[in-house]
Amino acid sequence: MTHVLIVEDDATTAEEIEAALFDHGFEVTCVDNGRDGLLQAFGGGFDIIVLDRMLPGAVDGLGVLTALRAASITTPVLILSALGALDERVKGLRAGGDDYLTKPFEFVELTARLDALVRRRTAPVTQERESRLKLGNLEVDLLDRTVRRGDRTIDLVPREYALLEHLMRNPGQVVTRTMLFEAVWNYSYDERTNVIEVHIGRLRRKVDGEGEEQMIHTVRGAGYVLRAPE
Amino acid sequence: MFSVHLSEIPRTTSFRTGLKFLGLFGFSFLALFGYIYWQTAVYLKSETDASLHRQIDNRRLQPPLLRKQEVIRHELQDAEGRWPQGLFSAQGEHIAGVIQTMPPYLEYEKADEFRWEKPGGYTRTIRFMAHRFDDGEILIASQDVHDIREFDELLVHALVSGGGLLLVVGLLGSIAMGYSARRRLDTLSSSIKGIIEGDLSGRLPTRGNLDDIDRLANVVNSMLDELERLMSEVKGVCDDIAHDLRTPLTRLIAGLERAQRRELREDDYAQTLESAITEARGLLQTFRALLRISEIEDSARRSNFARVDLNLIGADAAEFFEPLAEERGMTLTFEPSPSPAVMSGDAQMLFDAACNLLDNAIKFSPDNSRIQITVLVLPEGPGLRVTDNGPGIPEAEREAVFRRLYRSESSRHTTGNGLGLSMVAAVARLHDMSLKVHDASPGCRVDLMGKTVSA
Repeated sequence: MTHVLIVEDDATTAEEIEAALFDHGFEVTCVDNGRDGLLQAFGGGFDIIVLDRMLPGAVDGLGVLTALRAASITTPVLILSALGALDERVKGLRAGGDDYLTKPFEFVELTARLDALVRRRTAPVTQERESRLKLGNLEVDLLDRTVRRGDRTIDLVPREYALLEHLMRNPGQVVTRTMLFEAVWNYSYDERTNVIEVHIGRLRRKVDGEGEEQMIHTVRGAGYVLRAPE
Repeated sequence: MFSVHLSEIPRTTSFRTGLKFLGLFGFSFLALFGYIYWQTAVYLKSETDASLHRQIDNRRLQPPLLRKQEVIRHELQDAEGRWPQGLFSAQGEHIAGVIQTMPPYLEYEKADEFRWEKPGGYTRTIRFMAHRFDDGEILIASQDVHDIREFDELLVHALVSGGGLLLVVGLLGSIAMGYSARRRLDTLSSSIKGIIEGDLSGRLPTRGNLDDIDRLANVVNSMLDELERLMSEVKGVCDDIAHDLRTPLTRLIAGLERAQRRELREDDYAQTLESAITEARGLLQTFRALLRISEIEDSARRSNFARVDLNLIGADAAEFFEPLAEERGMTLTFEPSPSPAVMSGDAQMLFDAACNLLDNAIKFSPDNSRIQITVLVLPEGPGLRVTDNGPGIPEAEREAVFRRLYRSESSRHTTGNGLGLSMVAAVARLHDMSLKVHDASPGCRVDLMGKTVSA
């Protein structure tokens, strides 16, 4: 089971996150200050850390992160912050954070991102798998950027290809619209989730042809999942 | 009105500056005058001494008998006693001349002064020189220096009275300057006090002559303009937030209460929950957008500016919205500028701004309309232009649409939180760009244009 460490000083927020992650199937440990957070993280055994940017006491979020990375502890860290400004985000990621989420956020967003981080950590790191992604009968050739489903070649415009590639790299996982926007468009913030929906709709029409089983599924209120046909 | 206490004047800067200048001027006045005085005195003295030498030289060339006659004749000619002479024997007895007694002297051929008792009973200061002839007789040659003295005195007198006048005029001038400065500052500070007490529409008075205080007042006034705008905006935003959020909150609560009141089946509950969550999400999104705008307005973010090509931003935005436009049968065209439209800015924010403009254009235009996003490079700098052939924005509303949470009457039925254009306006302000809505007849043209030439 995935074990998550939550470092968050606000008791209510911590409780809510704990409940949401527990429901999602994570094992959760909570601490409410940077010092305890560091001690726990040094103790090890966590797959991922959710770290609040602002913490009371001598060690704040960035302090914890810097100390962890200085001690060569590579547990993925997702930073939670009320500071949404782009430079704050850059600061957080530069200090060694793996992802950054601005409060207020939706829990599906948090869990989806945690899933992605955990997956990235547990996925076997091999070089050769990089040339080809395969899920069910859907195949993406990363070298000549062609997509095939069974015998059918699918023509995609570059953006659709990028969307599909991102979904293929996270098979079976919920990918939120914001995550897609960040990964595919390289801009960090957007409220226009309906536009992403339209892009996905186009992609879906091409990937899930008539008479074929659906592979791109919509998760209501959250995002999308790419699943192999049963 | 304002009474200025005399005791306050010495504390004013103008008065002190006045005093400083008075001091400086007085010092140079003294130095100049003293120098002239000194030079004049030296000149007059040496002239006198030269004439004494000439008198002695004249007498020395004469034989003793002639000398005596000449001294007597000189006495007769010089009735006023301006150049009195006296001839004495080697023993100091008076031989001839108007000077009866030998004055005390230390050296021959050296000028000295003594008070001479003139026949007639009054004394004059004379400058004299003693000379001893070869035969032992002694000549006292002299010159009345009374006039020179008087001239000297006159000079000193002029110095003193001139200096006094200077001092008085200078002091009065300083006081007048201090007084007027003090009055002006009092006017300014009373206006400022008025503003502090809450009258934000108050402005500092200016004289229109663009002097230093005027310039300062102008700067402060433009600061007050901005403050007033911000204050009224904040107030407007508070009102609008309260007003705008009341509706979804009421809906949310009403839905929940209805669910509580009635006995519902399970899927009805699910439905209620679903709509409550949607409602709450909408609220969250409004808040997020509000936070985003205030974040943009924090102009410290300018430190993150980098070189951005608006052609890339425009292309990204157009590409992003193209499917949405296509879905509604619209044509969305992107027209890049022929030359690179490079400016210093935040790509993320400019992209957001372009997206908001396109979003609006698509949202408010009827199906099958044409929308164009154009990148322009003008002398003032690069800019973005979004044109649609939709209903346009009425002239009266073209300023108001940039206000936070403003929804025009015609847009009440569309989705949105009335923050899109405010966000674009915030981005424009941060980038020192101008944002204007024009009539594209038919339709609407929004220009986001650079104001300054980018480096």
